[in-house]
Amino acid sequence: MEERKVIISNRLGLHARAAARLVRRASQFNSSVELRREDTGETADGKSILSVLLLAASRGTSLIIKTEGDDEERALDALADLVEQKFGEELSDGVF
Amino acid sequence: MASSSVTRSRDVKLHGVPASPGVAVGRVLRLDERGRHQFYYIGVSATQARLEVRRLREALQEARAQLKEIKVRLAKELGYEHSFILDAHLLMLDDNRLIEELEQDIRTRRVNAEWAVRSVTDKAIDAYKQVSDVYLKERTSDLEDVATRILTILSGHDKFDLSKLDQDVIVVAKNIWPSTVAELDFKRVLGFATNTGGLTSHSAIIARSLGIPAVVGLRDITSQARTGNSIVIDGSEGCVILRPTKTVLSTYLTKRKREASYRTRPTANTSLAAETIDGVRMTLRANVELPTEIESLARFGAEGVGLYRSEFLFLTRLPDLPGEDEQYEVYRKLAEATGQAGANIRVFDLGGDKLTLEGFEAEQNPALGLRAIRLSLKAEHVFRTQVRAILRANLHGRLRVVLPLISTITELREAKRIIADVKQEMAETSVEHNAELPIGVMIEVPAAALMADVFAREVDFLSVGTNDLIQYILAVDRANENVAHLYQPLHPAILRTIAHLVRVAESQQVALELCGEMAANPVQAIALIGLGIRSLSLVPGSIPLVKNAIRSVELQRVRSLMKDAMRLTSSKEVEELLAQELPRQAPRFFSAWSSRS
Repeated sequence: MEERKVIISNRLGLHARAAARLVRRASQFNSSVELRREDTGETADGKSILSVLLLAASRGTSLIIKTEGDDEERALDALADLVEQKFGEELSDGVF
Repeated sequence: MASSSVTRSRDVKLHGVPASPGVAVGRVLRLDERGRHQFYYIGVSATQARLEVRRLREALQEARAQLKEIKVRLAKELGYEHSFILDAHLLMLDDNRLIEELEQDIRTRRVNAEWAVRSVTDKAIDAYKQVSDVYLKERTSDLEDVATRILTILSGHDKFDLSKLDQDVIVVAKNIWPSTVAELDFKRVLGFATNTGGLTSHSAIIARSLGIPAVVGLRDITSQARTGNSIVIDGSEGCVILRPTKTVLSTYLTKRKREASYRTRPTANTSLAAETIDGVRMTLRANVELPTEIESLARFGAEGVGLYRSEFLFLTRLPDLPGEDEQYEVYRKLAEATGQAGANIRVFDLGGDKLTLEGFEAEQNPALGLRAIRLSLKAEHVFRTQVRAILRANLHGRLRVVLPLISTITELREAKRIIADVKQEMAETSVEHNAELPIGVMIEVPAAALMADVFAREVDFLSVGTNDLIQYILAVDRANENVAHLYQPLHPAILRTIAHLVRVAESQQVALELCGEMAANPVQAIALIGLGIRSLSLVPGSIPLVKNAIRSVELQRVRSLMKDAMRLTSSKEVEELLAQELPRQAPRFFSAWSSRS
């Protein structure tokens, strides 16, 4: 089991497109992915878009990403990286 | 996925148009739609549940394929960036939690796939609505979109049979389509509540025909009611209570009991004449919509049919038109059942808020658009077929034809020319028929009311259609709650128009009849006979009641009462005068009536 805290720093927060990217990335790994809001303790299945959206994680929210499985380390690195890169949002137009 | 335990607010009261009287209490069956597709609940066996899971999987697969195709098209047309807007949709279709929940729902609750999609996504949508983030709240529309896509696909695949409902329901829908009518098992339907529609909409008319309560024009009841919610509909008051509390529920259960006994009581007067105390005889005829109603006419004491709404032949046939033979069979049944008393067949009154013919588009302003006689003259083949069927059926009784929504003499002449032409064609080809077919016009458009003397010279009778006449004279759509209070049948302008028509009919020696909701309301019916109307056509179920009202008054006194009423300046004053004077004139009937309402 691997865990890491990240802070949502992109402008729109974990909105549909960001969530979509996160879910798609998470789904590429065998490990299970859980997201937990540090403030409220709410959790979400990182592979379920509906679940991730319900976290309503706006900019500034601290999330704990927890991965568990044979590729848990790679999964955690990839996901944390995606959040830190602001989901690639600033690379595109950021409009959604 | 978070399963929500959202408690929805109780006793939500919504106001609409009282379309069909009575109180119904039950559970909501919400029909959702996208285009013409509507969805519903069916319980299934364990074996069938497995098939339902397969249908669901196939539908999800198909939905993915559709969305991917749209995405490609979007990328091409709007640029690659914008195609991402469908990513969330696509991921929802791949969301294992969602899929598991759907399949679980089908297996454990043994429901059809449509129902599972509806209830599971409804639950999720509720959960989203609890989130304070405005942006996320908007995502409910993505989910709704995905849900309706799946439902639409499902409906195209071996659609479940709505005629197999296994429990009593109150149908909540945007609108009741004729196709729904064809599908639903009405023995299971206790009432209707719809977003759209007025008194003359299909939903309303169908409910009245079936004798079940209905409230229409509720605007957005579909977004507030969920299938399975408890609901009360009061078709007499025009209101709906969603998720009633115990107290409210018991009030309505009592009211339901009282209404039911009130409705069944007056049938005892079937064999009595609709005669006033001073011996003036009125004619009470029936408005008929469905062929099955024809059999009940005698039971209510109807003297023939004053208005047969022939467009209802479409109901079970959509999207095809009923053929000549099929129409003939229904008209013949009507002719035979009404015998000497006869029946008025109003030619197809389509368009407007009723369904329209294939090939004719929905319009911006349907009330003023291509409808009724305008549509019949445009689709002449449809009109000719109908006239042929009527002429043939006329061999079996005394049928008459009424032309709806006539506004110019040209339309009347054109319609008469076509009828004459059909007769000649039938004579030439030796098709058996009875050419003795009186023709009348509906007086529904103010222009026709003002020009009634001109029309009177070229027709056999005039038939006042009060529903539309009031709508057009007062320029009020009763289904629009912002202006519904302006729909005033006793508005002096309406009284003057009717008095004018009575004078014209007398001086031109032409028969005058009246049909519409007004005739079914005892107070308004008495006002009408006070104005000089002698022949009323109304829903069969209300005939005994109106007959009792007529038998309780003296025409002489009612006439002078209406003379006073004509001098008043507003609907309110007229209503007050009638509310004060009728119980005095006829305490036996009206005291009981007014204390009831």
